[in-house]
Amino acid sequence: MAEATGLRNLQVVDDWAADVEVFRGVPWGKAMMWIFLLSDTFIFTCFLTAYMTVRMTTSEPWPNPSEVFALEAFGVPVPLLLIAIMTFILITSSGTMAMAVNMGYRRRRGPAALLMVITALLGASFVGMQAFEWTKLIMDEGVRPWGNPMGAPQFGSTFFMITGFHGLHVSAGVVYLAVVAWRVWRGRYEKQGYDIVEITGLYWHFVDLVWVFIFAFFYLW
Amino acid sequence: MAADTGQQHPISVYFWIWTLLFVFSAASYTVDYIGFQGYMRWTLIIIFMMLKAGFIVAIFMHMRWERVALITAILVPPGALLVLVALMAMESDYTWATRILYFGEDPAPVPLPPPSH
Amino acid sequence: MAVEAQVPYQEAIEVHHPHSWITKYWFSQDHKVIAIQYGITAIGVGLVALALSALMRLQLGFPDTFDFIDPEAYYQFITMHGMIMVIYLLTALLLGGFGNYLIPLMCGARDMVFPFVNMISYHVYFLSVIVLLASYFVPGGPTGAGWTLYPPQAILEGTPGVDWGILTMLGSLAIFIVAFTMGGLNYVTTILQARTRGMTLMRMPLSVWGIFMATVLGLLAFPALFVSAIMMLLDKTIGTSFFMPAISSIGETLDYSGGSPLLFQHLFWFFGHPEVYIVALPAFGIVSDLISTHARKNIFGYRMMVWAIVAIGVLSFIVWAHHMYVSGMHPWFGFFFATTTLIIAVPTAIKVYNWTLTLWRANIHLTVPMLFAIAFVITFVMGGITGLFLGNVIVDVPLSDTYFVVAHFHMVMGVAPILVIFGAIYHWYPKMTGKMLNDTLGHIHFWVTFLGTYIIYYPMHYLGFVGVPRRYFANGDMAIIDSSVEMLNQTITVAALIVGIFQAVFIWNLIYSYFRGKDSGHNPWKATTLEWQTPETPPRHGNWEDKKLPTVHRWAYDYSVPGEEDDFVPQTAPQTGSQPAT
Ligand code: HEM
Ligand SMILES: [Cu+2]
Repeated sequence: MAEATGLRNLQVVDDWAADVEVFRGVPWGKAMMWIFLLSDTFIFTCFLTAYMTVRMTTSEPWPNPSEVFALEAFGVPVPLLLIAIMTFILITSSGTMAMAVNMGYRRRRGPAALLMVITALLGASFVGMQAFEWTKLIMDEGVRPWGNPMGAPQFGSTFFMITGFHGLHVSAGVVYLAVVAWRVWRGRYEKQGYDIVEITGLYWHFVDLVWVFIFAFFYLW
Repeated sequence: MAADTGQQHPISVYFWIWTLLFVFSAASYTVDYIGFQGYMRWTLIIIFMMLKAGFIVAIFMHMRWERVALITAILVPPGALLVLVALMAMESDYTWATRILYFGEDPAPVPLPPPSH
Repeated sequence: MAVEAQVPYQEAIEVHHPHSWITKYWFSQDHKVIAIQYGITAIGVGLVALALSALMRLQLGFPDTFDFIDPEAYYQFITMHGMIMVIYLLTALLLGGFGNYLIPLMCGARDMVFPFVNMISYHVYFLSVIVLLASYFVPGGPTGAGWTLYPPQAILEGTPGVDWGILTMLGSLAIFIVAFTMGGLNYVTTILQARTRGMTLMRMPLSVWGIFMATVLGLLAFPALFVSAIMMLLDKTIGTSFFMPAISSIGETLDYSGGSPLLFQHLFWFFGHPEVYIVALPAFGIVSDLISTHARKNIFGYRMMVWAIVAIGVLSFIVWAHHMYVSGMHPWFGFFFATTTLIIAVPTAIKVYNWTLTLWRANIHLTVPMLFAIAFVITFVMGGITGLFLGNVIVDVPLSDTYFVVAHFHMVMGVAPILVIFGAIYHWYPKMTGKMLNDTLGHIHFWVTFLGTYIIYYPMHYLGFVGVPRRYFANGDMAIIDSSVEMLNQTITVAALIVGIFQAVFIWNLIYSYFRGKDSGHNPWKATTLEWQTPETPPRHGNWEDKKLPTVHRWAYDYSVPGEEDDFVPQTAPQTGSQPAT
């Protein structure tokens, strides 16, 4: 695949000018997943832009996320403790996913399926922690989508909407991973090859990617 | 479709990136923990964020090894979003200013004290 | 995996042949059947929108005559009419219908890359239509918020359908977007990755280019509508305040506070303007092919046409706030958006010049598709020029929300694409059914529609100038409104009713010709593009012979090539060596 590295800018013109396909050697499913992720990027960015707008326009104080999301550990409040753990878990799951892709292409379907299951479990635990975080916010801090005791009501609405939408993506990803892992394990892709693991991986890494932005813009602003 | 020719790279690369992502996350967390404010805070947070995002896309999603045709097709369109974000930031400032002007609410939301540890 | 491996891969795809009636006509995975399903549904729901426009016109032409049209009902008509026309008719018909039908055939593919997803796409679209039409059966009826659905008013007491109608509308839009995404991903991937041998992007017919760019716009613009629909649903149902500022309504202070109505308008138009081009670009592409084929001449400036489509697509993302000049947005934006809006006129004008130059000294056959194509160019120029007026802040401010705007957008994105759709149906019906549409009926349909729409919309410019406001149930005795308005409104209404009724001629033609039409043969228009070179008409499931896809040797516009026997050379004909390769 690396034949024309010296003349990359020409290679790109050649690719767009070619017949049959623009993305040489890219399977249909993978091309389609990339384009879907591009569309999904627009969805998440619109959500985040809406959040930015309501946050910048509100004349009420915005609750301080480091405090709101602090957890008590060994008797001292540690800011964003749970968020840090969740971030760590999601990054780790991205690592196991990447290894699953690798194993798939080596046609070691046992390890590939196992790594995917681990990824799914990490994802599920992320969703579990999110549920815990939501519960704490609702029960202990009194945050509701329509208001909260600490300031701008948009704090709760944007938080629940954006993390909720992200959480739905993670949950869908867990199901998707489980299904593909099961099929990999059963040897369903022996003939057609293991692109599917990479495609599933693209989706999963994207979910991680979105979290990077949520982490920076929601929790650290 | 023929397999075994797809994206295959040494596992060690993934371990490296995993470590880096961990380090950058820890770094941005530290920015908050120390309580940097203003430009310092935002420069650091955005740099770490972009580094993390870049590594995830480039290495985990294998963008680095894709052909330029795919890279451009995916990375160019989000430029439209940058226009949206930039203009909405301007718009928000303006809305905020008019709110203060016409409704005369407290112009400076009381800055919360940095978290005390 | 080498490219060479790809074509045999596609050639060898075994299409799963359906057996029962259900899998053949209802749950079919054949892109041609799905296209026709999309087409029939879109036209069906479009007729509802047409009926609603007739009711509106009755009220406007003869106020105080029809008891069953009260202001509430009028608002509901407007809203449903506008939304159905833009989304459920035009978007669905041009992309779901023509996109589905033409892409695989014109690119030389067996089918869409993921036929199953394509099938689901149609059924989800169907669901969205059902939910939309359910609006008329829920308590309170459909929403009357206008097709722009601006909050706060869209979800406050006083707007019709505030309890249920707004929910079905927003829900239906979200479902539609899911359907569109499934279809759109297929169209884009098929065009990028599944063309046949020799079919480079720069040999694709402009129809495919227009549909391609429109689909890309859809995939990137619908997210903004999706997000705004979700947020408004939350504002309405659980009382968040994304778009709702502190407000008091009918003497009562509501629980909302701190939201931004301007945010909705920005998100809506970040979708809404590209949407205009989602409708326009496929029409641009298709009309280019119609003009070239029926004028027996290559399209003028093919490359320029392609780049103009791409440029319009890109620019359409940075002009959105020209719909918001009177919204109270940031005062600097007017300048920015007026500038970008006027820039977009450049590639658009290039296209118009190229259509005209294609017709120049051509061997024009005034077939029905050609008549519609020429009518499109005229109408589009008309609507485009008023668009240049409205793009300037200083001109738009007094004209905003008057009938001038109604005239402008009906010309440019209502009538113009509809004319192309008619032309395209007359053009491709023979391929879809193997029968020609009746020519006489076609001419009647054309002249009534074309002249009728001018009687309808031309005077509306004047109405706008004298200050008749848009979205008004009745003008009453408003002193500013000239006495000529009443007579004009009656004329418009009569014309609109005639045009509406004459669409029956078209529907009848579709049905009649299917059973009684002349056999068309494989290539009645002597066209060059691949869909006319299929071994069967209508093409079978899988389009081409088993294990054999066509090979493309030339661009799509070899008409009247000097030295050739016929006045057209199909794309599949090998180059003879004397001409330069394109
Ligand atoms: C013979 C055909 C048509 C007639 C007689 C007609 C008539 C009307 C009328 C009377 C209005 C309401 C104007 C007002 O009170 O402010 C309207 C609005 C509208 N129409 Fe049409 N129309 C036709 C076709 C179309 C088509 C093909 C489109 C496709 C784009 C379209 C899109 C719209 C839109 C977007 C609105 C604005 C709705 C709103 O204000 O929320 N119309 N039309
Ligand atoms: Cu516009």
